[in-house]
Order: sequence, then structure tokens, then C-alpha cells
Amino acid sequence: MSAKLAGQQVSIAYGEQRIVENLDLIVPQRRFTALVGPNGSGKSTILRALAGLMAPTKGTILLDGRSIDILSTKEMAKRVGVLLQGPVAPEGLTVRDLVKQGRYPHRSLFGRWSAEHEAACEDAMMLTGTTTLADTPLERLSGGQRQRAWIAMTLAQQGEVLLLDEPTTYLDLAHQIELMNLITKLVRDHGKTVIAVLHDLNQAARYAEHIVMLKGGKITAAGRPEHVISEAAIADVFGVHSVIIRDPVAGTPLCVPL
Amino acid sequence: MICGFDTNDGKRLFVLLFLCCMLVGMSMWAVTLGMMRISPFTVWNALFSFDGSREHLLVTTIRLPRVLAGLVAGSALAVSGAIMQAVTNNPLASPGLLGINAGAAFAVVLMMTFFGAGTGDVYMWFAFCGAGCAALFVYALGSFGPAGHSTTGLILAGAIVATFLTALTSAVLIFDQSTLDAVRLWTAGSLAGRTTAQVAAVAPYILTGLIAAFFLARHLVTLSLGADAARSLGQNPMVWRAVAIAIVILLAGSAVALAGPIGFVGLIVPHIARLTVGVDYRWILPFCAIGGALLVIAADTAGRMVFASQSFPVGVTIALIGAPFFLWLARNRAGEAV
Amino acid sequence: MRLTTLLVVLLLGLVAASLALGDISLSWRDLLETLSGSPDATPQNAMIVFDLRLPRLLLALLVGAALATAGTIMLAVMRNPLAEPGVLGINSGAAAAVMAVIVLMPRPPVVLLPIAGFVGAVVMAAAVYLLAWRNGTSSLRIILIGIGLGALASAITTFLSAFGEIGDVQRAMIWLAGSVYEADMVKVRLLFFWLILPMAFAWISSRELDVIRFGDNSARSLGQPVDLVRGLMIVLCTLISGAAVAAAGLIGFVGLVAPHIASRLVGPSHARIFPVAALSGAILVMASDLLGRLALAPVQLPAGIVTALIGAPFFAYLLWGRQHARG
Repeated sequence: MSAKLAGQQVSIAYGEQRIVENLDLIVPQRRFTALVGPNGSGKSTILRALAGLMAPTKGTILLDGRSIDILSTKEMAKRVGVLLQGPVAPEGLTVRDLVKQGRYPHRSLFGRWSAEHEAACEDAMMLTGTTTLADTPLERLSGGQRQRAWIAMTLAQQGEVLLLDEPTTYLDLAHQIELMNLITKLVRDHGKTVIAVLHDLNQAARYAEHIVMLKGGKITAAGRPEHVISEAAIADVFGVHSVIIRDPVAGTPLCVPL
Repeated sequence: MICGFDTNDGKRLFVLLFLCCMLVGMSMWAVTLGMMRISPFTVWNALFSFDGSREHLLVTTIRLPRVLAGLVAGSALAVSGAIMQAVTNNPLASPGLLGINAGAAFAVVLMMTFFGAGTGDVYMWFAFCGAGCAALFVYALGSFGPAGHSTTGLILAGAIVATFLTALTSAVLIFDQSTLDAVRLWTAGSLAGRTTAQVAAVAPYILTGLIAAFFLARHLVTLSLGADAARSLGQNPMVWRAVAIAIVILLAGSAVALAGPIGFVGLIVPHIARLTVGVDYRWILPFCAIGGALLVIAADTAGRMVFASQSFPVGVTIALIGAPFFLWLARNRAGEAV
Repeated sequence: MRLTTLLVVLLLGLVAASLALGDISLSWRDLLETLSGSPDATPQNAMIVFDLRLPRLLLALLVGAALATAGTIMLAVMRNPLAEPGVLGINSGAAAAVMAVIVLMPRPPVVLLPIAGFVGAVVMAAAVYLLAWRNGTSSLRIILIGIGLGALASAITTFLSAFGEIGDVQRAMIWLAGSVYEADMVKVRLLFFWLILPMAFAWISSRELDVIRFGDNSARSLGQPVDLVRGLMIVLCTLISGAAVAAAGLIGFVGLVAPHIASRLVGPSHARIFPVAALSGAILVMASDLLGRLALAPVQLPAGIVTALIGAPFFAYLLWGRQHARG
């Protein structure tokens, strides 16, 4: 199991406020990695740094063993797709318009729109179930539909890595499960590496193959769900007393707060 | 605040008291300065044992009214700016956004074109009416139109009305040289030649407005969270927004009537206040009242000193003093979290 | 497509009206004869049409299209519905420079005014951008710095206008009010060749604007070098609107309204917004000039004032109508 993305001795700060210090992080290739932890533990910040949207004050982020500093923003976007929380689109933009923007890094200034681009967009919309919504303006969609449209845009980038910040927020249960299955499929069938910030610990335990648990900008545990999710770890990180049972369906750990 | 006196409040109180002392000192100094230096002792005598001498007359009829005018106009503009920023939840808002400056200027120009240049008193009433009418119209357009209930509606309505009135004003001015000549000093904002009677005429409005503003402070904090949050906290945002706008019209309308459209005070003093005493409007408003007065008097005095001209427009000096500070603020504070 | 055709027809109608109407109005037949160069046309009519009205018309067209294009760029780059080229301090810079030249120089040659306006605009825009730069830029910081520097420049303008000789001040105000009075073919050609490259480049970069509009983070995650694109766009906008201001003074509201009209008509793609905005801007300025010429004849109202007088209510209608439609 080799590292697709890695952080070496990474420190990140907003002005004077230090969020993360001397963090070593490994994101295994072709796996679904979940970042979990309480609010303010630095999950989203780390995700931004991994995406190259925020330069660490110290340390390096490695993609396939090479520093991302040498990659241009365009090169980076060809290989890594990112969906942050609460993105805003201009009024009147349709789902198809939005998904097409995902092809931006693949086009030069004078590059024409080609069949290849069209196919990438169609695939992305099909995978996310937004094909029937293609010509609907985003503001007329429900929160869940809009979220899927944005995910389709990042899929149209066709990068090997997908970074998602709380992708299941706004989604109802059925669409949450659908999205998790989509991520599983992307990892298993399309060889993608997916990293997602997740709030729902049980969801992370059930679907992710690798969990990184954070507290106060530091990694408290990382590894397979059954190794990471323990009563002691949850008490330590979230301050919640719980029992861990086996999920009767998937066999993964299931945390039941006391 | 019922819950005692913590160290933070102590610090804020100290800042406020310090500013009060600065203001008193600055005002005294401003009265003594000028073509003819007058000692503080003479000023004291002129106030409390007036003997009709030339120096005493100078103090009571020229210097003192000028300082008083700066005092009331400055605090009124700064406080109304703070209220505007709270109500629109927009750091760029100022009383000018309600069309107050544009309305006052238009009314004054119209009056001069039709009735010829009048006395300062006549200007004042036209300016006040113009400011009030424009602001009420902006408010009506911004809240009762189909766009209603949103602060964006108010901001856009203000921008539209102000542009329209400004265009009308310049349409008049470019054809009417005598009006342009008469009005250009007024539009730059000036404290020169203000009389005690003029100050006394607007002072009741400004005092009422200031007192009402301090009672409003608690509601402003809630209002600045946005309409939805305010409503969920049990506040009727429509009512309190209307009250807040009424106070702004009273304060800024009177100030503009007295000193002309001085724009910048209402924009930057609230920002300085927020940086110094935090986000609580119960502290911001008193700070603005004192800080605004201090800035206007300091700028006016600086203008008189440096340019040795009694009619140097205070609006220009305020921009010269205030803009660099605002730039520093914008460069260091804005867009950190983007 | 049908919409563009409609706008083009409207534009051509305005062209015809602007050529025919005025102090001396020509009949349609006279106009046709003059335009086709038939031997029946009088030299006087030819002079009115070709030397007086045509240059003025073309200048209005170019200036309107330029301001609308610059406004479209700013709207996308600043992501603020109130953003227009004035945000960069272009107008206040030009105003201060022109006021200074007219008031401070004893007898400034007329050619100096456009140059002063352009230099003032460019210097201000550069200063705003440089001051806003701090490990990259942000739209909010550019807007705030623009306001601060704009206030400084306005203070200078106010100071000069308060103490300058009244005749000078009035001349400066007329120049600044924005008009296309002093048009001639040399000016028109100069402006045309100046504008053609930046405007073409802006249109080619439509796709960049489509992306930058999503916000810094989204745009960057799509691989856009946001600071570079924003910088380039600001340069384009300064070149375009600076030239428009130099040619015609401060014609307000076109840069604000035209992009809004266009995006309402053709949706959010900049490749389509640009041409429609340019057409609408040209129509607005041409119509304003015609109206300003006819409304109070023989007195001529500067086009810049008329654009604000008809643009402001129209903008209000647009906004209120839209919010209403959305329910």
C-alpha cells in the first residue's frame, strides 16, 4: 500500500493562529480515506492544504512522492479534484454549464470543446445521477441535487484524487448512501483515491478503508476503521462515552454513545 | 449591562474617558487657535463673564459656534454611520448610502437656482428636507417594493437614488455658473461661518437622535445578526430597522444640513470603534459619538492651521487624514479569511 | 440569436435617427441621398452627416461598447453586483487629473485633457492593485482599497473645485460629466485601434471569467491561477475603460447596467454576455447622446448625465422586476 498523497512535517496557520503543527499524514493510494474529528480539529484546513489551496507555513505536501509546489495550479487540478463546503455559483448557471467548468484545467486558452470533453461531462453526470437535471439552473435544485451537481463537476476533472469536504451534508439518507456507494465504486472500479471529511463516525467506519482521527490539529490515530475506532479513542477525541459494537450488516465498528 | 464590571469593560471605559479628555482639550485648543491667538483664560472669561470686547466677540460669535458645529456634526455622522453598518450588515455602508448627501446637495442646488443664493439658515432647511426626502424614498423603495425585507434591496436602492440625484445636480450645475460658485464650498463640507443660532437649530434633533441611538444599541446587536436570526430571537426586524433608519435620517440629515455633505466620518469612525472596543454596539455608539466629534474638530483645526485659511473645507481634510488610516485598515484587516 | 438580431436592428435604427435628427433635421430621403453619395445631395447635408453627426455617433458607439465590456470584466472578477470600473478608482483618478490640469495650468491645450484623464485612471488603478496586493489579492480588499484611494482622489478634486477659478471649474465639470461633443474622425479611429486588441482579448478570455466568478477557492481548485487572471483582467479593464474615459469623460452607469442587462438576457456564459453587453452599452450611450441633444435643444445635455438619468430608473426596474419574478 503506497502513499498517493502525503504531508511531511506540515504546519498551517491563519495569520497568528496556528491550526496544525508538524503533522505527518499518509493517504494510501486507491483507497477511501476519511478525516474525522471534532469541530475545529483542523480537518478542513488539512484538506485545503492537501489540495494545494493553502500553502503550509512549514513542511511539504507530496503527490506521488513529489512536492506539489513544482506543479502549476492547472497541473494540480488535472490530477486532484476538490469540493469545498458551500460553493457558490452565479445565478442562472445550469448543471451542464457547471459540470463543463470541470474541464477547465484540460483546455488551453484557445482549446476547442471536443468530444472527449463532452464524454467526460456525460460520464460525470451519469455517475452522479444528474443527467436528467442537465438543463436546470442550479438555484432551482434541492440542496442534495445541487451537491451532486458540484460533485459531478469535480468528477469531470478526471483527476486520480478526489478531495471532498463534508460531502454528505444537505443530503437525505438515500442520497448519502448513494454518494458513499459512488465513492466506493470510484475507488474500486476507477482506481481513484478519495479523501473526505466526514462528520458521521459510523458512516466513515462503514465505508472508508482508512480513517485519520484528528484532535487539535494533531493525528491521534490512523489506520483501518476497526483499529482506529475504539471506546478510548472516542472518549479522548470527542469527550463522549460510548460502546463499540459490530455493525450487524457490514461487520464494521459501530459507535453507540452512552 | 447587569453582569458587573469586568476588566474588559474597565479598559473600554478608560479608552472612552481618555477620548473625552482629548475631545475637551482639542475643543479648547481649537477655540484658542486662529489669526489671533486667544488665551484659554480669555476664552473662559468670554463664556462666563462676557465684556463685549473684540476678543470675547470673536470667541462667542465665530470660534465657539464653529467648534460646536464640528462637535455635533461629527458625533451625529459617526453614530449614524455605525447604525447604517449594523442595519445593512455591510461594512461599506454609511449615511450617504441612504441618499442623504445626494438629496441634500440636490435640494440646496435647486433652491439656489430658483431663489438665488440665500443665507446659511435657508440652506440648512433645504438641505435637511432634501436629505430627509431622499432617505425616506430610498427606504420606501428598499423595503416596501417587491424586493422588500432584504438589506441588499436597501443598498441597491440607495445607490440608484444617489446616482440619479447626483446626475440631476450636475446637470444643473454645469449650466449655472453662479449656483456652482455659490454651492461649491458647501458641497465640500465646511464649518466656516456657522452661527450659534444654526447650531442651536439642529442641536435638539441631534441630541434626540443620539439619546434614541443609545437606547437602540442593544437592538442593533441583534439586528446585525441578520433578519432571520433577529426574528428567531423574537425581534421584529422590520420595526427596529425602521426605527434605526429614522434615527439615521434625524442625525445625518441634521449634520449634513449644518456642515454640508462630509462623507468619510460615517464610514471610518465606526470601523475604528469596532477595532478598539469590539462588536458590542453599546460600546461602539458612545465611542463613535466622541471619536467622530474629535476627528471633525481635529481635521477642521488642522485645515485652519496648515492652510491658514478659515474656509478650508473640512471634508477635504477629513479625507486626507482618514483615507490613509482606512487604507491601512483595509490592507491589514480585510480579506484575511478569503 | 434572435435577441442579438433585435439589438442590432435597434442599434441601426438609432444610427439612422442620430444621423437624421438634430438642430437641422434631414428627411429620410435627404439622408439616404447623402449617405449613398448621390449627386442630388447638398454639400451642406453632407457636411452635417459626415463631419458632425457620424463621428459623434461612432464615438458614442465605441465608448458605450468599451464601458460595457470593462463593466462585464469587473462584475465577474469582483463578484459583487455593484462592481464597475469605478471600483478601481478609474473615474476618481481621471477626475482628479483632469481637474488638476484645467485648474492649475494657465491655458492647457485641449489635447492634454484626454491624456491627463487616461494617465490619472491608469495610475489610480495601478495604485489600487498594488496596495491591495499582499501575498495575492482578494476582491474585497481591492474594493476597500479602491474606496479609500478614491476618497483621497475625490478630496483633491473637491479641493481644486472649491478654490479654482470658477470658469475653470465649470469647464472641468463639463468635461467630466461625460460627453461626445468633441468628436472627430481622428479620435474615433484612434479609439477604435486602441480598443480592438484588449476587447478581443477580453472576449477570448470568456472562459477564464466563467471560472473566476466561482470564487477564489473553487477557481483555484479547477486549476486557474487566480491572481494572474485577476491581474490580467484588471489590466484589460483599465486599458479599455481608461481609454473610454479619456475619449468621453465620465459616462457613468453604463459599465454597471449593461452587463446586468446582458446576463439577464443571455444567461451566465461570458462568451455570450460580452457581445450583448457591448451592444447594449453602445445603444445606451447613443440613445443618451441623442436624447441629450434633442431634449432641451439648443442646450445640449452631456451624455454622461443622461445615461445616469435613464440608466438609474431602468436599473431599478430591472432589479425590482427580477426579484418580483423570482417571487
